[in-house]
Amino acid sequence: MKTLFGIQKSQHCRISPWNRGLWVSGILAALVTTSVAATSLDEQIERLTSEVTRHSASVHALEQQLLHPVNTRVAVFLTLQNRQALDLDSVELFLNDQPVASHLYSDTERTSLEQGGVQQLFVGNLADGSHQLKAVVNARSANKRFVRRELEHRFEKRSGTLRLQMTLDARAPDYEPDVTFREWK
Amino acid sequence: MTGQKRQIYRSSWLLALAISQGVLSASADELVPAELADGVARYALDTGHLAPVISLAPTLTGDSADYLRARVLLGSGQTQEAKVLFEEVFASNAHRAESALELARLEAAEGDSSAAVRWYQEANRVGFGEIRQQAVFGLAETARSQGQADSAGQYLASMDDGYWAAVGYMNLAADFAKQDLNPSRALVALRVAMAMAVKDQDRGRSRDLLDQLYLRAGFLSVRTEEYDKATDFLEKVSLESYATPQALYLHGVALSERGNYRAAMQSWHRAKKFPLAFPGVSDAWLGMGRGYDVAGYPGQAGESWLAANAAYEGERVTLGKLAQRIRQDGAYKALVEDARGADAQWFLADSRTLTQPRLAYLLRFLEQPGAQAAVHRVAKLDDLYLTLAGRKHDLDVFIRAMEGHLGEVGSRSGNSARAALVSKHERLSATLAQLREQAAGSGQAGKLGYLERQLRSSAQRFASLDGRAAGHSKAINTQLIQARQLQAATGRLQEQIRQVRVSASAMLDEKALAFVAAEQQRMVHALDKTEQQIAHLYEYLALENIGEGLR
Repeated sequence: MKTLFGIQKSQHCRISPWNRGLWVSGILAALVTTSVAATSLDEQIERLTSEVTRHSASVHALEQQLLHPVNTRVAVFLTLQNRQALDLDSVELFLNDQPVASHLYSDTERTSLEQGGVQQLFVGNLADGSHQLKAVVNARSANKRFVRRELEHRFEKRSGTLRLQMTLDARAPDYEPDVTFREWK
Repeated sequence: MTGQKRQIYRSSWLLALAISQGVLSASADELVPAELADGVARYALDTGHLAPVISLAPTLTGDSADYLRARVLLGSGQTQEAKVLFEEVFASNAHRAESALELARLEAAEGDSSAAVRWYQEANRVGFGEIRQQAVFGLAETARSQGQADSAGQYLASMDDGYWAAVGYMNLAADFAKQDLNPSRALVALRVAMAMAVKDQDRGRSRDLLDQLYLRAGFLSVRTEEYDKATDFLEKVSLESYATPQALYLHGVALSERGNYRAAMQSWHRAKKFPLAFPGVSDAWLGMGRGYDVAGYPGQAGESWLAANAAYEGERVTLGKLAQRIRQDGAYKALVEDARGADAQWFLADSRTLTQPRLAYLLRFLEQPGAQAAVHRVAKLDDLYLTLAGRKHDLDVFIRAMEGHLGEVGSRSGNSARAALVSKHERLSATLAQLREQAAGSGQAGKLGYLERQLRSSAQRFASLDGRAAGHSKAINTQLIQARQLQAATGRLQEQIRQVRVSASAMLDEKALAFVAAEQQRMVHALDKTEQQIAHLYEYLALENIGEGLR
């Protein structure tokens, strides 16, 4: 064989074919074992995920029962009316001028809202009577403007759960953000 | 509803509640109006917060209900049950394409490519838009992985312009480049991919893909000695991309082959700024010396190679320390957690990403699909453990609060406060009745009416207080028992997760150590090359000295 440094002696087979067969089958067996181990591990993780999710749901249900007695409970939901008009950056929520919730949106959350998702923005408790809800919305509108708007809503809380739906909208040509509130019985 | 579906439906949702012996009532369904339930479930599924909606899922109604339930099952790890429900959804009228696509992916993940193809074809038949594009992409990828490039090409030709078609053509180009000695087929496929990627509406995704495509096209052009074409492609690669170091190196190669060593050295100098982990950087260090040598500056060439030598030696030490840390703390901590850099300011995060050696090694390591799966396993287990730790803390707080509350209830009479409330209510009612007689105008009457309603509501609540209070302590006792059971279950699950994590972590460590060993070997090869270059240079200088002496 001619190489860069002159003629080189060709090498004989250093491992006999029989031994090579053993080596190959050994390596294959090791690969199969690794792959089986990974699969069984994935199954265990899947089973654990299922158990942990159910467990978390139980704790969440207990938490809801303990923290939010039914008679005083208030929940605020956020939806988008016009899915293309606004790119939501953040929403801050104030109840009677006290900040109660603020949320900075990721791409995933924004996409989900645009595809009809409904965000449970706030769950808390309020005494019966008249109250004021203020939402501060930061967004980028379809005409590439950054907008920040404060929107207010007065409502009356009576005994029982109050469910408020906040629907965010912006219409052409000025894409001015607007929020409508709806109370669900 | 078929028998099988009913069984899954019942087992899944009753199981969710059975963990608490069926006593905890679902609260999400009381809180969420039925009209918003679908949207709330969809948002929770999209953002990965499943726990609050598990109790909501059985109450979902409408066309999307079964599809959302199937997604909840899939998200909570019940894959087989999810598959059956997705099949039921596919047989219905809504979400047929989405269900077929999910089924195709599940079959592909289980290695059943014929079933995967069948479902991809169904998704292609009934779907439209992005779903259809993903389904055809799946078909093309399956054909490509089976060596049927022509069939893959036909599928890709039927796709709309955009991201999925571009990725399909890029993968096809990679196959052509492996098979052919002449890269013209691969270059044509890459050019088509570029044209498709430009049409992607997601600008960031499009930019990343185009960088990859330009780099690949540049590499193939360098290989076929079409240097003008190569520089054209490589100059389009963004300077803030993962592909930048390799593109800079290849750009230097193309320029040097055209005799423009000065410009080539400028490109290599820029490539040298990146960590040695990235492809092309170690070659750029070598190239600098070569550039000086060819340009007739042997002294500078020697210095460059010595500097490259020192850099490679330094990198070997870094890799040695990394291997030591992997053995000591595990690969997940050494590579993944520590690479996050908690002190990073958000406005520096982008520029730091490509210049930190550890992060560079992490990115290189994660190029292997096996490594991604291994890291994902450990990350998921850590996430589950953290979720449980949070739940455990919550339960501790609940248990303490309930124990405290039961203690207070036992020691409190409250009779005097109750009597005071009754007398105050009577006084207020009387005052309101008096004012009602004196009210003049609708404004005052309205205000008084509002106050009367308030007072009546308070009176009703007060009247029902005894009945509600009697059940209250009993309910708290029941909840206390449930909380303690859940706390014990949390401990058991945490222990199970700890055990599985040991195996997952060992698997990751093994892969990471093999990767570090391969990188160390790469540095040894680079070191050999520089030493060889230095030896050649010294030999040349010695011969020159002898020649001068003889003259």
